[in-house]
Amino acid sequence: MFISPGNTSAASIKTTSHKVVIPFYLYASFTFLAATILLFTSGSAFFNHYFHPHLLALTHLMALGWGTMIILGASHQLVPVLTEGKLYSEKLAYASFILAATGIPLLVYGFYVFDMGEPAKWGGRLVVLAILSYLINLGVSISKSKGENIHALFVFTAALWLFLTAFLGLALVYNFTLPVLPKDSLHYLPLHAHAGIIGWFLLLVIGIASRLIPMFLISKYANVRLLWWIYYLINAALICYVLVFYFYNQAAVLFIPGTALFAAIALFIYYCYKALRQRIRKQVDEQMKISLLSVLMILLPVVSVLVIIALLVMEPEEKTSLVISYGFLIFFGWITALILGMTFKTLPFIVWNKIYHQRSGTGRILNPKDLFSPVIFKAMSITYISGFALFVPGILIAQKMLLNSGAILLIITAILYNWNVIKIINHKLSPA
Amino acid sequence: MNVSTNNNSKCPPALTALENVYDPEIGLNVVDLGLIYALDFNEEEHRITCTMTLTTQFCPMGESITDGVKQSLQSAFPDYSAEVNLTFDPAWSYERISEAGRDYLNR
Repeated sequence: MFISPGNTSAASIKTTSHKVVIPFYLYASFTFLAATILLFTSGSAFFNHYFHPHLLALTHLMALGWGTMIILGASHQLVPVLTEGKLYSEKLAYASFILAATGIPLLVYGFYVFDMGEPAKWGGRLVVLAILSYLINLGVSISKSKGENIHALFVFTAALWLFLTAFLGLALVYNFTLPVLPKDSLHYLPLHAHAGIIGWFLLLVIGIASRLIPMFLISKYANVRLLWWIYYLINAALICYVLVFYFYNQAAVLFIPGTALFAAIALFIYYCYKALRQRIRKQVDEQMKISLLSVLMILLPVVSVLVIIALLVMEPEEKTSLVISYGFLIFFGWITALILGMTFKTLPFIVWNKIYHQRSGTGRILNPKDLFSPVIFKAMSITYISGFALFVPGILIAQKMLLNSGAILLIITAILYNWNVIKIINHKLSPA
Repeated sequence: MNVSTNNNSKCPPALTALENVYDPEIGLNVVDLGLIYALDFNEEEHRITCTMTLTTQFCPMGESITDGVKQSLQSAFPDYSAEVNLTFDPAWSYERISEAGRDYLNR
């Protein structure tokens, strides 16, 4: 009646040590706080060009120190879940952390003071090496896994795009002092940004979320065919964008990759909607609500980029406030909302597994959700949504008061987030 | 709940012991969740084999749940060794959840 475990045994799924993963989470948490403070102190930069040093520093702090670091941490933890095997090397994971943790502040400092000298170059080199370590670790882990796995493919392709993004980014830093590219660095900025945002963040988030959202909702829904469509559409959109960028850089043509991207995101939203509808557990917890909200929040930058393209078609003058708000919608909107929700679904599990694993089967013990404060989480969600909702119009109508109020609320969000993260990490064994 | 067994007298206390093993995400025990497929008692070798599944093949808590099953069986039957035979064929489905389990999830 039952087939013996053989090579499908989940007993072979070995979780990655918490010692590898927690430093990524801690680093990202502190970076988020630093970024919100920088957001407050650099308010006037939002009325300038997006190539402003403070905005470059803030973008890289958010993209690398916050988004990428936490995703690297979570993905090291999730590799066994995604590949049905184990992480190839914890030493490479440590190397990846140390290289990135050292490189990111150097790079951000270089942007902040706009000195593309040795600190920025070293920062860039270290970040590229960190990503290379991650890519090798991921590639070998996947090659040792059994069978075809769409989620692992999403993650590996995303890591490849991340490597290309970082490599191009390093070339752009060099290009300031040594002309390694035919045109100036500003010219390549959209290519660098979109390879990172779509190739790395979007592919990775969909690859992981398409597994975690049904799993956490305890949903019966699965649709691998739809995920393949999303995978092809996103990669096709990105490759099309690269080709348009090099061979026919006209605003009107950008609607082709833009439409493919919009279709991919619409399909992903449909996937999440079906998972939600077919869930077994009626109640949706607060962390999942924020995570699901982030899925809808992807639409904001997509609509905004389509508006930017439409305006460019009508008038070649770039609307900088729209471009800046587009970046804000991505990093402080979609990515931050997702991390705020998913941190409190993944980190409690990691710590719970460390403390309560041996106690499983001995009766009622605390659940992972009991490791953080729901009140702090709720307060964090409220300050986040309010701060975000104030800051975006602040950029669009150049209103300093709105920017400052929004930034203060986002600083409070970061403090509350850090509070709960530290509470989880410091959790000690206690009865249910 | 449909658990096959070769020992009708030892199966109920074993299931009672297994009610102490919870899926930490769902907050429901493995018996009410319908994760237990079979309990086989080998009297000659004093060994209990629990054939079970997980709600998803990629459950990050899989190791913790299967270890919990082994521990609870061993503490309920100290003279026996316990082992877990994990299978995904047939895969777990909603229909396997007990009435009490459904009430809990529908709260």
